[in-house]
Amino acid sequence: MRMSNFGYLVRRGVGSVFRNAMMSVASFCVLLVSLLLIGLSVLIAMDINIIMSNIEEKNEISVYVRGDLSTEELNHISDVISSNPNTMTGGVVYYSKDQAWEDEKEKLSEYAELFDYLEENPMPDTFRVTVSDVSRISDTAAEFKSIEGVERVDAPYDFARAMVNIRATLSVIALGLLAVMIVTSVIIVYNAIRSSVFARAKEINIMKVVGATNSFVKIPFFIEGMFIGIAAGAAAWGLTKVIYEVIVQLFEEDITIWRIFGLVNIVQFDDVTWYLLAADCVLGALLGAIGTIISTGKYVKV
Amino acid sequence: MVELKNVDVHYVDGAKGGVDALNDVNIRINDGEFVFIVGDSGAGKSTLLKLLTREIQPTGGRVFVNGYNLKKLRNRKLPYFRRSLGMIFQDFRLIPTLTVYENVAFVLRVIDKSKKYIRQRVPYVLDLVRLNDKAKAYPGQLSGGEQQRVAIARAFACDPKIIIADEPTGNIDPKLSYDIVELLQDINDCGTTVIMVTHNHDLVKFYGGRVINLKEGSIAFDGTIEGAIEGE
Repeated sequence: MRMSNFGYLVRRGVGSVFRNAMMSVASFCVLLVSLLLIGLSVLIAMDINIIMSNIEEKNEISVYVRGDLSTEELNHISDVISSNPNTMTGGVVYYSKDQAWEDEKEKLSEYAELFDYLEENPMPDTFRVTVSDVSRISDTAAEFKSIEGVERVDAPYDFARAMVNIRATLSVIALGLLAVMIVTSVIIVYNAIRSSVFARAKEINIMKVVGATNSFVKIPFFIEGMFIGIAAGAAAWGLTKVIYEVIVQLFEEDITIWRIFGLVNIVQFDDVTWYLLAADCVLGALLGAIGTIISTGKYVKV
Repeated sequence: MVELKNVDVHYVDGAKGGVDALNDVNIRINDGEFVFIVGDSGAGKSTLLKLLTREIQPTGGRVFVNGYNLKKLRNRKLPYFRRSLGMIFQDFRLIPTLTVYENVAFVLRVIDKSKKYIRQRVPYVLDLVRLNDKAKAYPGQLSGGEQQRVAIARAFACDPKIIIADEPTGNIDPKLSYDIVELLQDINDCGTTVIMVTHNHDLVKFYGGRVINLKEGSIAFDGTIEGAIEGE
């Protein structure tokens, strides 16, 4: 197709947005609200993810080893633990029996004389391991247990189960909301474009009679749907920015409270601003295009 | 060239069990002919036109138009086939929101002509139908006869091999009907085949030429009659 004629189609599509002003506004608003909710959900999900990770990093598997091991054997155990795929990089801390002994003495300093009765340090050497995937914590613990020289393994199984459940629930809710919003948006855009198709039935008929190709007939409607979608995406991005920054402000006013929940470095809007703008516009255009495909596919048969 | 060979069209109608719209029709129209197609309502005229534009497929037989075998024509190629036809309708089918000039330019854009071509072609065809002075008017501001002339200009703008006019004089002042036929004859003189469906027997008798009369889905008459115009 010639550029001049393509330009003509683009002008007709954009013009159509304003000719069907009421339907365009309706689609724009629905898309705006959907994209706003999607944007905020994504940001909040990212925050929750950070918070969850912060909390999860406090999980530790304690690997107690036998007291009679040589330094080589200890190093070997350390290497095996570190090479486990679920061990977080740098997440292995060696906690020697001497250290443990000193710490224990300090903790119980009032009873210092009691320690004098012990001839030998009863504390075991320990590796404290942070795992990256909490949901696999029991498998990982079992793997550590099977290492030669390991005596006992402690892991926060209940904590891990709770975290996994919370994450799963949040994901289901988020996906459900997302699906409902996307379906609603597509239906509204579908209706808007369909009314636009009906309004131009005569034109479409003439186009078909004189030999317009399918794409020639459909392009203006595509432009119309995508124009509304992109406009709604850009507007949604602006609104998301305003609302999210208000929320962040509220949190940061009393950050010490949130620090307790691990909410110290939540997502700053400026860090994701361009990604979000692009995502909003692309998603808006996509929803507009999907609505158009469904409505023109049915009513623009050549 | 148009060629129908043993064409049957059978409409499936649940209540009545089906209607035979066309029955074993054979027609051959050579390039450059001017043909009137007449017949009562329900005789099969509309069905015949729909066959020629491939809005419908025959139940039996074969249809060739401008070298295309319409039975084998793929949907993807359909637009390109339609570009070899110019259509004129009883109700004009102009786009009310576009000016006369834009209405003609519109179809040229549809078939992907260049800006330069459009700028040359539109005034030329509007001149042909003597409407250059109305180029900026909207269809609603024109009389029926003028609107039909715009429609003729639009059909001719794409330089089709065949012009198919479906009751082109049906909605206009009888006195102006003669203008319309004469315009079509002018176009015919340029070498374009014209197929005109009409109810107006006076027009047919006046101009004469080849007439195909359809009756109940069959051809009752196909021959040349002498027009009053030649007898004068």
